Amino acid sequence: MSTRVLLHVGTPKTGTSYLQDVLYRNRRTLAAADILYPADRFDAHFLAALDLMRLPWGGLEAEAVGAWDRLADRVRGHHGTAIISHEILATASRSQAGRALESLGHGAGAEVHLVLSVRDLVRQLPAEWQENVKHRQALTYGTFLDQVRDPQRESRIASWFWGVQEIPDILNRWGHDLRPERIHVVTVPPAGDPHQLLWKRFSLVFGLDGLDLDLEAERANPSLGAPETALLRRVNRAANRELNPSDYRPLVRELLAHQTLSRRTRSPRLALPPDVHPWTQEITRSWVADIEERGYDVVGDLHDLMGAPPVTQYADPDHPAEKQVAAAAVDAIKALLLEGARLRQSEERLRQELRDTQVALERSYLRPTYRWREKVVRRLQGGAVGRWLLAGYRRVRGRSSRSA
Amino acid sequence: MRRAWGWVAHLQQGGTTPWRDWAEEGRPGGRVLPGAQQLELLRRLNLAGRPSADLAGRVLEASAPGRGRPDLELEGAVDALAFGPPPVDPAGLPDDELLRVLASLLADDLAAAGLPEQRRPRSPRFWRTRYRLVGDPVLADPARAELVARGRPPGGRGSVVLVLGADLGTMLVHAWTARSFAEGGPSWRDWLEPLARRRALPPRADLAGTARAWASRVGPERVRIVLDPAELPRLVGVRRPLPGPPALSADGVDLARRVGQVLGLLAVPPRRQRLLRDALRPRLLAVPGPPLTVPAEHLDWVHARAVRVRATLLRAGYAVHGDLDSLLPVDRTGVPEPSDAGVLALGMRLLLENT
Repeated sequence: MSTRVLLHVGTPKTGTSYLQDVLYRNRRTLAAADILYPADRFDAHFLAALDLMRLPWGGLEAEAVGAWDRLADRVRGHHGTAIISHEILATASRSQAGRALESLGHGAGAEVHLVLSVRDLVRQLPAEWQENVKHRQALTYGTFLDQVRDPQRESRIASWFWGVQEIPDILNRWGHDLRPERIHVVTVPPAGDPHQLLWKRFSLVFGLDGLDLDLEAERANPSLGAPETALLRRVNRAANRELNPSDYRPLVRELLAHQTLSRRTRSPRLALPPDVHPWTQEITRSWVADIEERGYDVVGDLHDLMGAPPVTQYADPDHPAEKQVAAAAVDAIKALLLEGARLRQSEERLRQELRDTQVALERSYLRPTYRWREKVVRRLQGGAVGRWLLAGYRRVRGRSSRSA
Repeated sequence: MRRAWGWVAHLQQGGTTPWRDWAEEGRPGGRVLPGAQQLELLRRLNLAGRPSADLAGRVLEASAPGRGRPDLELEGAVDALAFGPPPVDPAGLPDDELLRVLASLLADDLAAAGLPEQRRPRSPRFWRTRYRLVGDPVLADPARAELVARGRPPGGRGSVVLVLGADLGTMLVHAWTARSFAEGGPSWRDWLEPLARRRALPPRADLAGTARAWASRVGPERVRIVLDPAELPRLVGVRRPLPGPPALSADGVDLARRVGQVLGLLAVPPRRQRLLRDALRPRLLAVPGPPLTVPAEHLDWVHARAVRVRATLLRAGYAVHGDLDSLLPVDRTGVPEPSDAGVLALGMRLLLENT
């Protein structure tokens, strides 16, 4: 039984991909320090979260069958500290959270700590819309904001957004059975603060200070600018129905969004519309007051959650500068051309290998006895008696491949 | 909150009083108060039958799977908070919300019960007609399974490829049915409407495409279009009739689709498919109901598409058993889409069967 379990349940867009990448790549170093990060593949905790919450995810769920129980087994079998981290866990219901905590040993001797990393709504709202666009959605920014602001929250977009972003509610669902000092709220520093500050906060909470970890990120979830996100939304609208999820992920999300469009860092950034800003401030003030009252361990400053003041020059992704979208589109076309060329070369190489194999096969068929046997079989197949003889011969010989 | 716990206890004892009419208080009976969806589902189950204490407990502990509204608080049971989804009167929840919880419970039952014992097929006969059955999966699959059981598996040297079809409206319904029992997918309307916009046929209903694909593999002379089901036994060399398509109700297919979505997280794809086909389908067949038909607003494009399929098959010159005109959609009795209320009632009936 793990003596201490650190369960990081979100929220999305708070440096979670970077944290998970560091933990995954350094799991041997962590193991030497008696810290278990139980993952055989980078997305192991994501699959476990899908399983726990019974969340279909474009076919990936087939790989998630039984993943949570396997993860929990490994945690229970470890003597020391164990870390679990995935941001979509934030949306778990109370009963799912209860099941998860119990399976990790809560109430049976394990000291379970809940970690929630949080960022201001001023950045989270545009970031969540962008995440939706990177997951095939084609709704406009305006529609997204309208749905999220609807008090009834009946749409799927709104219920998902608040499920993973409403900090006091997440803490209620996950933390109502835990002591406040075992609940750690890590705030993401404001934009412009030193990059390492967030890592230092994570390192403190997860007890990683003093370990020699490789902090070079291999995986991240980079952001796009306003014209790039507008372009991607148009691509979704045009290609969604014809592009399978298994093709969308490598071609659109990875190649176009992450590897190409995210490199265009000089375009206007996606931001919160200034008229929505006061609404976020009102909500955040009530959240901060609530969290302060509960006595959680806050790493960072809760007032970071208020976010930056409204932008003075707002770039509306629903009405982008077409010149900027066109420039992004040219980069996208170039990337697709290069990928197409790479695939053509790969196809040509495979064709050549196939041709070589066929030639080698034909050469072995050219032996005189083979040609003679082939001629006999062809003749026998031409008549009923011949076919009967052939079938009898095969039956006697016990050949398993009678079917053509 | 005590009023809410009183209602929970009432429901656990088989009560059916709606939340808005409930006034008595009770003691907390668990770690957390169940969500409004779970409580309302238990009330509906109490109205429909007598759920066991075990089933009642499972309903209250279940969570709605997948994306959608979270577990909701009861209106009037908790103090208003500045955060969280607004509390609701459970009686006002749409059936779709209750179905999410119900599908999860049915999927649990299916996964736990496992696969029924399979009929052992006879060993293959040596003298048998060589055939392959392709085309409409709802027509081809049961016939093929029966032939395998009789010792006449498909394939073999020189097999004739029999492409089974029916009127295009029926084939579209069959394509969605087959999909719902296999990989799952969107609702009937959400599946049909993009097809209508593109005037396209899904591969499972594309008779001409299937025939073309097989013709390129085995030659057109070995491909036959079978539109008259009475011809099929003769073509595969048997005398006894072969089973026709299972008579599933529209609500039954939609329930299978919803259960299959959750089952996708409880069983790997081949097992999920077998659980739906071999364990759930017989139970759905035992509950008759109106079949699904293509909604009236889609008949025009379906007719136009059927005319094109007929022309393509004629041009290709395949041997045809039956009348190519039978590809044209016909007026069938049925419902244009499943109803959430009907699916919920059917699902509750299946859930109660096990208690």
